[in-house]
Amino acid sequence: MSFALSKPGRFIGALTADLKTIAYRLAAAMVICVILTFASDAFLTTNNLLNVLRQASLLFLLASGLTLVILTAGLDLSVGANIGLSACIAASVMKLSGSALLGAASGVGVGMCIGVANGLLVALMRMPPFIATYGMLWVVHGITFWYMAGTTIYGFPSAFRALGSGYFLGVPIPVYLMFVFLTLGAFFAQRTTYGQEIYAIGANRESARLSGVPIARRLILVYTVSGAMAGLASLVFLARMNSAEGDIGEAFTLPAIAAVLIGGTSLFGGVGTVSGTLVGALILTLVLNGMNLLTLDASWQPLVTGVIVILAVFLDTLTRKRAEARK
Amino acid sequence: MNKIFLTAAIMLSTAAQADGEKIAVFTKNLTNPLFQVERLGAESAAKQMGATVQHYVPTKPDSIPEQMSQIEDVAVKRPNAIVFIPVDPKAMVPGIAKINAANIPVVNVTDRAAGGKFVSFIGADDYSLGLETARFLLKAMGGKGNVVIMEGVKASLTNIDRVRGFKKALEENPGVKLLAQQPGNYQRLQALQVMENLMQTFPQIDGVIAANDAMATGVIEAMEAANRKGLVVGINGTKEAIDAIKAGKMLASGDYAGFEQGCLGTMVAIRELHKLPVPKEVVFPASVIHKGNYQPYDVAAEQRACPKYEDLIKK
Amino acid sequence: MNEIAMDEPSRSFSLARVPGVAWILGVLLIGFTAFSRDFLTGPNLHNIGLQSVILLILALPQTMIIMTEGVDIAMGAVLTLASVMLAWVLVHNGSLPLALAAALATGLMFGLANGMLVALLKMPPFVVTLGTMGVAQGLALIVTDGQSIVVNSDALQAVYGGSLAGMPLPLLIAVAVYAFSHVLLYHTRFGTYVFALGGNAEALKLAGIRANAYLIGVYVLGGLMAGLAALILTARMSSGHPTSAIGMEFDAIAAVVVGGTSFEHGKGWLFGTLLGVVAVGVLRNGLNLLAIPSSAQVACIGLLVIVALFIDGLKGKQ
Repeated sequence: MSFALSKPGRFIGALTADLKTIAYRLAAAMVICVILTFASDAFLTTNNLLNVLRQASLLFLLASGLTLVILTAGLDLSVGANIGLSACIAASVMKLSGSALLGAASGVGVGMCIGVANGLLVALMRMPPFIATYGMLWVVHGITFWYMAGTTIYGFPSAFRALGSGYFLGVPIPVYLMFVFLTLGAFFAQRTTYGQEIYAIGANRESARLSGVPIARRLILVYTVSGAMAGLASLVFLARMNSAEGDIGEAFTLPAIAAVLIGGTSLFGGVGTVSGTLVGALILTLVLNGMNLLTLDASWQPLVTGVIVILAVFLDTLTRKRAEARK
Repeated sequence: MNKIFLTAAIMLSTAAQADGEKIAVFTKNLTNPLFQVERLGAESAAKQMGATVQHYVPTKPDSIPEQMSQIEDVAVKRPNAIVFIPVDPKAMVPGIAKINAANIPVVNVTDRAAGGKFVSFIGADDYSLGLETARFLLKAMGGKGNVVIMEGVKASLTNIDRVRGFKKALEENPGVKLLAQQPGNYQRLQALQVMENLMQTFPQIDGVIAANDAMATGVIEAMEAANRKGLVVGINGTKEAIDAIKAGKMLASGDYAGFEQGCLGTMVAIRELHKLPVPKEVVFPASVIHKGNYQPYDVAAEQRACPKYEDLIKK
Repeated sequence: MNEIAMDEPSRSFSLARVPGVAWILGVLLIGFTAFSRDFLTGPNLHNIGLQSVILLILALPQTMIIMTEGVDIAMGAVLTLASVMLAWVLVHNGSLPLALAAALATGLMFGLANGMLVALLKMPPFVVTLGTMGVAQGLALIVTDGQSIVVNSDALQAVYGGSLAGMPLPLLIAVAVYAFSHVLLYHTRFGTYVFALGGNAEALKLAGIRANAYLIGVYVLGGLMAGLAALILTARMSSGHPTSAIGMEFDAIAAVVVGGTSFEHGKGWLFGTLLGVVAVGVLRNGLNLLAIPSSAQVACIGLLVIVALFIDGLKGKQ
């Protein structure tokens, strides 16, 4: 099948190219939806579905930046800690200056700085991403704990809070954000030179280097984007919770990585899509929502999440093997 | 002449002793505001009594192996006394045995350890705190309507006792219907999401009893976002809860007296060193903070000073 | 087999190979000795040793796993579950050997599952162990319902508190595990394959060698060691607790990597791992003795990791 695309079709083309790769996952998400519809009366209601979308949007924002990092065969373990510090700094700037815009800018700014630091360690010092970002996690936590000293910052202007808890045309605002960044992310990854270079680095770093890809600069770029997305996610979180504490982000790191992996992005790099990550985030959220609706004990959550991750990647491996065999 | 010398020497040495008393304070994590308030209480008490405080907090929240290591390290360092909140009341018993073996006097604060020798226990009564706070809500509801209980970490001692208190209050008010009882694990976000889901299932929720303030504020956020009205109570009396009560968003919060626990725990430890009489146990009676009485609580913990010892043990 | 081109693993010691963490460890030892009179004392060194044992038992097999270009992030959760199982069996049956067997069996099962998924299905190790981590953590919570399982067993307490010929038992276990790992890695066929698997697993496979069996073996070793570490952890707390060792695998991985083992090409060094573990132990202990605030302690652990790799990075550039 060939894609002959006119210029206006390129955006849609980026999404449909992704769609082909995520058909299985969408089907799985549908199956979960059908099961939950029969299991709980409360599931198939507009409000609940909007809830699921809103809960998924935060996870997606975080995971979308992470997807780019993982596409380069990297990893960013510091995103959760990043959310914590970005949220706290954004909150305190907003409190001190009274300006929501300034607060938001500083939140994304802090996230970005942490990302740049990660990028420098990985790209210039050639540290293994796993360990460099793990070290960063501790450093960022340390700064956050020192800065917050066990306090909570709360009570923000309602204009800012709309970012997390507001609605537009009956749909939560974070959901719009999710689709904006889905489109941007998919376009960036599929239809720009940057995106292609990022895939190339992940697929084979040495040949990417030989074909003239500026590896270090692209690596710094993806970690910076990941950091900035963590900063943005922290704003949505802050706006939704109306309060900031030092440890708010830690619960997101592994779910965000899981969302990327369930979405079909390979840890070996070079394979995966941003839209896949969206479906991954949806699957995870649907399952947790279902467990809540069925009032299943929270103890089961890690177990169920673990099994889903293994299943998703297992199915991926099978289909990939079959595709290779066909070649 | 010699006598004067001797007296001066004795005075010097006692002064040095009073100055040099080091109290090691163990708390569970760096993030929960309750423990920050307790640390500030301990510092305030130590300052009043001329001692110094050193804090030991696990770098990973509530980590058992880390608190165990910190105990071992502190036993080498030998502070004069220890004020101790176990990260887990059962799993830390061998740690307490180590402090006992090192012959360092130790005061147990907030979470009652399952074993070991302590100078005293200082804490709050979670059961009556739960009972009184829930009673306050049910009374405000006029003894009728639908309520939801937001539980903390299911297996934790504080949660078990608080929920037992909630249930007792509900028994006393047969006109109130308990719609659901779900864990929010003491976390704001989880409480918010659980509440969002519960609001889908139940069109009318008149009151929410949350086992701590962080969950109560999460519940309030969820209800505000959905334009739903309901009365919410929490427990702990954090600054955030006081502000919410002041603003009329939250009905009440059970006073956990974290600051006072930190104060009294440290005072008892220092008094023990001074060979002054100390109580075997002080459990603060339950009181509820509400719109009518919040003013004395409306002060940042950094600016608070410990009440007098006599007032604390009278309470 | 002789025809396979294998990089001869270099096993000799040279100054250029001294990892950054060794320099840091040196600085820490001098600094803490200078600023705390309690640091260089028998009881304190005894503490550092005891506190490092569990991390070392996890980090040694982790070294070999990483050498095969894998990773096991389920270790902390498996250790936790094994500890819970050990406590449960001890409470219900009273036999320590049986309880230890239960812990080892738990580790064995997870190790087998990890190894088979990685070796036979060619799934990425991080994903596999992320999944099994969730399973182990979930099982630990479900079995205990979130509560500690308290054990009153003199035999168990003797494991942590006891000593043999003046050496505390946990330290003896650690020495034994280190010696075992050393022999396994440097003096057996198993070790040769571990070195080879990271360098060129494909070539090994093409040459018809049952590389998979060895790869599974590495993960099984990791599981068994987590089971053994559970004995010491449970003895230390006299109880099993459903979240006691969560996250410990990341500390172990960090210790391995700052010790000079690389995620690529099967380069690994057991002694470096020991240095990494000791450096973390010394840092935490020294900061406690100096009563450094916890938030600074948190940052220091991150700095230790980053600075150690930074020094290594500088050396690589020369």
